[in-house]
Amino acid sequence: MVKLFKSTKPALKKLTAEDISVEISDLSVYFGKKSVLRDISMVIPKHRITSFIGQSGCGKTTLISSMNRMNDLNKNHRCTGSITIDGQNIHSKKINVAKLRTQVGMVFQAPNPFPMSIYDNVAFGLRLQKQIPRRQLDEAVERALKNAVLWDEVKDQLFASASILSGGQQQRLMIARALALKPKILLLDEPTSALDPLATLHIEELMQTLKKNTTIVMITHNMQQAARLSDYTAFFHQGELVEYADSDKLFTQPKHKQTEDYITGRYG
Amino acid sequence: MANFSNNTRFNSHISRTFNRELEDLRNAVLVMGGEIEVQYQDALEALLQHDIKLAEKVILNDVKINAMEVEIDSECLRILAIRNPTASDLRLVMTVSKMVIELERMGDEIEKIAQFVNSTEFVYSDELKLGITHMAQDVQTILRDTFNAFARQDLKTTMNIFALERLVDEKYNELRLQLEQEIQQNVQHIHYWLDVNTLIRSFERIADRCVNLCEYLVYLAGGKDLRHNSGKKIQKKIQALIKS
Ligand SMILES: Nc1ncnc2c1ncn2[C@@H]1O[C@H](COP(=O)(O)OP(=O)(O)OP(=O)(O)O)[C@@H](O)[C@H]1O
Ligand SMILES: [Mg+2]
Repeated sequence: MVKLFKSTKPALKKLTAEDISVEISDLSVYFGKKSVLRDISMVIPKHRITSFIGQSGCGKTTLISSMNRMNDLNKNHRCTGSITIDGQNIHSKKINVAKLRTQVGMVFQAPNPFPMSIYDNVAFGLRLQKQIPRRQLDEAVERALKNAVLWDEVKDQLFASASILSGGQQQRLMIARALALKPKILLLDEPTSALDPLATLHIEELMQTLKKNTTIVMITHNMQQAARLSDYTAFFHQGELVEYADSDKLFTQPKHKQTEDYITGRYG
Repeated sequence: MANFSNNTRFNSHISRTFNRELEDLRNAVLVMGGEIEVQYQDALEALLQHDIKLAEKVILNDVKINAMEVEIDSECLRILAIRNPTASDLRLVMTVSKMVIELERMGDEIEKIAQFVNSTEFVYSDELKLGITHMAQDVQTILRDTFNAFARQDLKTTMNIFALERLVDEKYNELRLQLEQEIQQNVQHIHYWLDVNTLIRSFERIADRCVNLCEYLVYLAGGKDLRHNSGKKIQKKIQALIKS
């Protein structure tokens, strides 16, 4: 076959062990008696962007929160199955959960700035990690804010409270806070839901740059965003993984009727 | 998978305007197809009856078909731009955009048939005329079945069309042999024979374009690209689609 348009990524089916960052096997999650995720098995490819799509309440946030054990904070939470990151089971006793969370960074669906200054919000994680000279910290904060396309808007009020920022600015602040730690896996829960189209494009460009050395999982309700940005897309429905495929495939020739109905905006 | 794209499914979007746009797009192709069928019928009758007036009408009418192509294609562009269609909706819009190109070129072939009627006196043998008539009738069947298959999203019919087109090809080759013989007997009419050659080629081309349309239909139904496949492979792929 002639190849006029080269694909820059391997097909999902052709991934080898080195291409894989996270492996989820038979994961089921419960909150109390409620079963929220059922038998999820999938791999998250390394240094690629993977999108999770699906109706509100289908379990997307729960699944990404499982990847850095954020769900553990909930007493009702219980899970079976396993998640391994770079070959290590994250539920193993040897795992340091605080360290796991710096390596697997997360930007939450609703911006949750700490009640402190813009600067301190971004520096927060870095300060927890280790003592850093002020100069270096300043640089890290500036870089993170620039990458999150927020720097120009806040550079003159870095020490003002983060709560004065607009919704879209807070969302970018949360991205900056996650970026500052240079996680090897970045989990983004609807990272551009409150952003204007230009800021959205900037964040998308940033993700394209980041993926050179970061594995990115993004939840989005914007089908076009998933299609244009992510290499692979997983569609979930009521706690189950219905279809997981290369994004170009999933958005042109979905295999399952449920996927087709969802992405084309049809009645289920 | 084939059952994804049956008629009713174009009507199941939450957005009712989008439903209507896709429905209208489909209907527009059917209207254009209907127009082609009438043109073909008229051209054929003009040929068989040597009706110059009717042939002129066919030639004038081709403008309408050209205009339809432009209009449908620009609607496809508009839908792509404002709806960002995905999956079967995307395939529908892209398919329609390619189908109208085929339809417009079918129109051109029909126009050529009509032009033949206008420029040429009947001197060819009864045998050749009968051969052309038979081939033309097969092409008519192909044409009708193709539009029906599109209207009903019916893959089974497309299989018959692929088979029938191979028959037309055979008839075309037979006619060419016959034509060669007539040329040898009547060399002084060489210009005329060249016109006859173009005529039978037009019929054959129309059948070819119907097959292209059917390939698009199969792609529309299940996303299988059949272009440039052998007959056997095509049949296997369609059968698999019908089953799924
Ligand atoms: N802490 C919790 N306690 C009880 N139920 C929960 C908890 N967190 C989530 N759930 C339930 O789990 C299901 C999945 O929630 P989740 O937040 O993962 O959905 P989601 O796919 O991210 O939806 P959205 O698109 O609206 O963000 C929901 O029915 C929700 O009510
Ligand atoms: Mg969520």
